[in-house]
Amino acid sequence: MKKNFFEGIDLVLLIITLAILTAGLLAIFSATYTSGTDYFSKQITFALFGILIMLVISYIPPRIIAKSSYYFYILALILLVLVLFFGKKISGSKSWFSVGGFGIQPSEFAKIATILALSNFLSSTDDGFRNVNKPVEFLKACAFVIMPVVLIMRQPDMGTSLVFLSMILPVLFWAGLSPYVIFVIVSPAVVAFGAFLGMNYFIAALILVALILLMFKRNIFLTAGILVMNFVIGFSVDTLYKKLQPYQQNRIKAVFDPSTDPLGSGYNVIQSKVAIGSGGFTGKGFLQGTQTQLKFIPEQWTDFIYCMIGEEFGFIGSVAILILYMIIIFQLVNNSYLSKNRFLSVACIGFSSIIFFHLVINVGMTIGLMPVIGIPLPLMSYGISSLLSFLVMIGIGMSAYRYRNQY
Amino acid sequence: MEPEKRKYAIYAFCLIVFFAFVIRLAYLQLFSTEELTKESNKNSVKTITLTPPRGLMYDRNGKILVDNKPSYTVTITPSQFDKNNLNEISSVLEIQPEILMENIKSIKGTNKFNPAKIKRDVDFKVISFIAENKERLSGVDYQIEAIRYYPNNFHAAHSFGYASEITPKQLEKQMGDYYNQGDVVGSSGLELNYENYLKGVKGYKFITVDVKGREIGGLNEGKNDIPPVNGSDLILSMDKDLQEYAEKLMNDKRGAIIAVDPHNGEILCFVSKPDFDVSVFAGKLDQKVYSALANDPDKPLFNRVTQTKYPPGSTWKMMMSLSAMAADIITPVSTIACGGSFTFGNRTFEDHGAYGNINVTRAIEVSANVFYYKLGLQLGIDNYNKYGKMFGFGMKTGIDIPNETSGLLPSREYLDKRYGENKWTQGLMVSLGIGQGELGVSPVQMVAYTASIAMNGLYCQPHFVSKIKNSITNAEEFVKFEQRRIDMPQKYYDAVKKGMYLVVNGSGTAQAVKNSEFVLSGKTGTAQNSSGNNHSWFVGFAPFDDPKIAICVLGENAGWGATFAAPIAAALMVRYLGGSGYEVEGDLKIVNGVPD
Repeated sequence: MKKNFFEGIDLVLLIITLAILTAGLLAIFSATYTSGTDYFSKQITFALFGILIMLVISYIPPRIIAKSSYYFYILALILLVLVLFFGKKISGSKSWFSVGGFGIQPSEFAKIATILALSNFLSSTDDGFRNVNKPVEFLKACAFVIMPVVLIMRQPDMGTSLVFLSMILPVLFWAGLSPYVIFVIVSPAVVAFGAFLGMNYFIAALILVALILLMFKRNIFLTAGILVMNFVIGFSVDTLYKKLQPYQQNRIKAVFDPSTDPLGSGYNVIQSKVAIGSGGFTGKGFLQGTQTQLKFIPEQWTDFIYCMIGEEFGFIGSVAILILYMIIIFQLVNNSYLSKNRFLSVACIGFSSIIFFHLVINVGMTIGLMPVIGIPLPLMSYGISSLLSFLVMIGIGMSAYRYRNQY
Repeated sequence: MEPEKRKYAIYAFCLIVFFAFVIRLAYLQLFSTEELTKESNKNSVKTITLTPPRGLMYDRNGKILVDNKPSYTVTITPSQFDKNNLNEISSVLEIQPEILMENIKSIKGTNKFNPAKIKRDVDFKVISFIAENKERLSGVDYQIEAIRYYPNNFHAAHSFGYASEITPKQLEKQMGDYYNQGDVVGSSGLELNYENYLKGVKGYKFITVDVKGREIGGLNEGKNDIPPVNGSDLILSMDKDLQEYAEKLMNDKRGAIIAVDPHNGEILCFVSKPDFDVSVFAGKLDQKVYSALANDPDKPLFNRVTQTKYPPGSTWKMMMSLSAMAADIITPVSTIACGGSFTFGNRTFEDHGAYGNINVTRAIEVSANVFYYKLGLQLGIDNYNKYGKMFGFGMKTGIDIPNETSGLLPSREYLDKRYGENKWTQGLMVSLGIGQGELGVSPVQMVAYTASIAMNGLYCQPHFVSKIKNSITNAEEFVKFEQRRIDMPQKYYDAVKKGMYLVVNGSGTAQAVKNSEFVLSGKTGTAQNSSGNNHSWFVGFAPFDDPKIAICVLGENAGWGATFAAPIAAALMVRYLGGSGYEVEGDLKIVNGVPD
């Protein structure tokens, strides 16, 4: 019995999580150690607390989590409404409750609650998943995500809203959504991006989309209709772009050419690229990074923590961190595949897609591949709400491993 | 699509992104390293905070009172500092090596690549030593900063207050995050009260620095720099010469002087002695010096003008006269019989003379106690409190420096609380009638009251600052202070003022200070003190017909009002009005006083 008790632990997730946490703590230590702040000690305290929570959660049977998932979801929606009224405004967004000197972000809790509720919805059938290829079921599933997104947009918190939206397709794909539908949804984004870059890119993207659509060999009228939709969307990109907040426009502009605004929105990108690039193959050594130590990057311990890895531990360190994240994501996807419990299977895909999205946006931003969207690097960025929320996700991922043979 | 295929589709998607990132990282870290390292070494932007000099203070005639002077601050940049030089530096700076090491480490808000301020206001000899040995003493440098300079030979310590390096406690308590370690902040007096005007606004300079934090040059030719805004200057109503003379008169004595322009409450001079030399706090607040001052039995840090609450003695008699007339107990001409003493219950209250039937004017002139014993009884505590409040007693005057006392103006509630309900007798009113007993006033309250009598009821909030000179526009903005009218028939004020006139110019208690050039008027007072010699009071104004100055002088344990306070007040009023005054150099000639 006792042996079984420990046997079910997902050692891959546990060890890799601990490794990433350690790297994150080292990075926060380095980024803050000349500033006299107590971020390091706060983060390490909550990391230890979070690991405990993660382990406890990994023992909770899926049935219990599934049953309570709708209640969590409703609670999360209520909190998201309350934060609009009673939240604390920090840098323009009302995303935080201030409790006893700590900021608590209800949107972090809502991430988990939304995935669980959506998973419960998709798996609460007698056999197999709900057929999300049916428009009604598809829209119902989307509604689970759209409701919190609407509330989070009101804060307004663009980055977190995108995180929520990012999980829809992977989760529905896992639940059986046809690749054709996914392509129909994704293609306008590709075309729009092309349109944003210029006329030539717009035309190239349209041709590409047309070719792939033909390869699916569906009804020719449907294919033509989708192509027209893509064309219209690509054309209206400009109008939409003008509707964005000026700072968001600048951020997008600065992605493609950071030098247009070297002291404004491009500043972080330039400085973080310089920091990472100057790290070279092996890095400048722990606490030796001049960019990190001279604080060229403001608040580096939050969204730009990856720069510190790049500068002080070089290419080797940067790639190693990426590999650790890849292992976590692959392990979660594999748990999902192995799990006979459909609820946890979907939930794990949700969690892995969220971790993946955070990773791509955050790291992409520091190396100049993605726009500056303020979302944290999972388990590494300073921030208690985000840290605990990722540890809870991994805890549930570990329970999927433990109970993989239970229906 | 079966689950296994879906799993591999997800794996493939992740791997594509992963390899894209690895390629990007390789591009940055393996193929652009040289270029980006150069970038990192040479073209890193650092923000330097520029602290503007504090605003200055001028007197009413534009003469400088509080100035700035350059001073040298030794800095150490921890990352460049060679610990082998520790002992040498510590002996040059006269700081113990361990303390120096602590200081270098503990500076918050900076980092080891930035210079940390180690010692302010350093001697020029030390600076030339550092400059000569610059090569050898790496990391040791100096900055030129503005610190307070007081060019006059008087202190005015309680008025100006001091501006010192911010303490860790102040740093923690500050609202917002304007101040950093090493900043100077106004901590008392006008420096504290007008901190927001005096401090100015910090500016920022962006410089490019190399890998060691060394400056390479300005960024973008300084186009992005934000220049600091100098602090605004304060134009005080203080008269520099009068202040200097007043401090000389009070030298080595204990007490307070405050003089105002009765038309608007502008403070002309303000002395609290003993005091201290504020320039010792110009750099860093030296804890040793500060605690020596704080523990001095003569209490030099205590502001005797705004913080003392002594009974006013006979200087209260104008207050009683006006209250009794306003309450219809007496008229300006009605008389009261004044024998040599007054018996209430089984207690007899003495007077220093018998004056027969006298009116209120005569009562003030000779300071007849029996007159006011009787008025005190008839007025009663409620009227006593009501009229006292009208003249600003029992509350703060609102003078523009911090930590003023409200004093003590007794009320029925107060006495009920102090003695128990119905446990106190009217006998208390007898003493209160002559300004003794449980009544506490401060010199600043007294001068505002005296000025309001001089101005027939115009009560002005006493204040130092008349104008603030905006450092950007150079415009002088007037500062608004309160004025109000204490409504009473003019004949009441006339009767009281006549009495004050006769105190000096008739057969009154201060006839010794009568002046041939200017018509002075006033009232002496002696506050009985159970724990030592009596306190000497004088309040007055001049010239009688067109008051230009109102004054209050308090001498702690200095005896009768006529002995100490009256001559000093007279000398100051005459000096301010432009007369030759009294030839008072060093010690003031003490006149033969009379009791009041």
